[in-house]
Amino acid sequence: MSVLKKTLLAVLIVFIIIQFIQPTRNKIGQMSPTDITKIFTVPQNVQGVLKTSCYDCHSNDTHYPWYSFIQPGAWWMARHIDVGKKNLNFSEFGSYSKRKKQNKLRSIAKSIEDETMPIGAYTIMHGDAKLSKDKNALIVDWINRTRDSLSKTN
Amino acid sequence: MKTFIIMYAAAISFAACNNDNNSAKGSNAKTTDSTAIQTPAAPINEAKANPLKETLSAYLQIKNGLANENGKDAASGGKALVDAIGKVDKTKFTADQNKTYSDVADDAKEMAEHIGENADKLEHQREHFDMLSNDVYDMVKTFGAGQPLYKDFCPMYNNKKGAFWLSETKEIKNPYLGKKMPACGSVKEELK
Repeated sequence: MSVLKKTLLAVLIVFIIIQFIQPTRNKIGQMSPTDITKIFTVPQNVQGVLKTSCYDCHSNDTHYPWYSFIQPGAWWMARHIDVGKKNLNFSEFGSYSKRKKQNKLRSIAKSIEDETMPIGAYTIMHGDAKLSKDKNALIVDWINRTRDSLSKTN
Repeated sequence: MKTFIIMYAAAISFAACNNDNNSAKGSNAKTTDSTAIQTPAAPINEAKANPLKETLSAYLQIKNGLANENGKDAASGGKALVDAIGKVDKTKFTADQNKTYSDVADDAKEMAEHIGENADKLEHQREHFDMLSNDVYDMVKTFGAGQPLYKDFCPMYNNKKGAFWLSETKEIKNPYLGKKMPACGSVKEELK
């Protein structure tokens, strides 16, 4: 066997081995009582957009496509979800302080307006997660209303 | 045998990729720790006098960094702020103060982390600085500043929604618009 063949074989074997090392799945399988939809009025169409475009990385319930089981991509994805949840977790929104809720809502609107979210690496695989202008406006408008009503509460 | 060695090497390099990131994070955290420990080592007694002293000096470092459009300075201020918040002595706080403080400090810490991690994104730092200023103002209102501070307001930032900041000088040096409009804004309140 040539060196090239051996290397290729080695890579293949490693590839097969790492398939058995799977990161923990981010899937709680039920609606958390602190989910944003339980504490604010979230219209169905807004909920739909949040779930399609945000929840995969920003909640405790990721919808995993079939290829998400292929390593090493699964590690890469798991890290994305970790960072995503640390910065914003819709499943735990209700446990945030009022101040944090306000700031998070503001940052969500900002990143949608800037089109920094959802990130390109995600929308390239999830075409339906891309936000059209209409969807953008829908979410930003809902956020502004929610922020107003939140600022009136104690 | 050769195959095995190559395979083993490949496996290690995979693992190393994974570990590299982690250890990089770890060592980053360590460097910020050690620099932060070195800088504010001297004024321990003064820190006792006002629990916010270190927090405020880190905040002002961010403010001046942003006004000078120096994202790196702002970022190191952000890291110093995260550290300062971790060191605040809460034992003398009343229950009410503690509740106020922990909500505000949690938020401030998160804002400071973002500022610390985005040395190359001035505008992103400014967004978080806006929210951070709100937190630091509330802290000062609860615990006092221990030094003269000015609450300045810039009506133009954030699509004319406006934003305020705290400054140690009466002269306006706008951290939101930087060199574009350094003097935009006015003093709204004097704090002590």
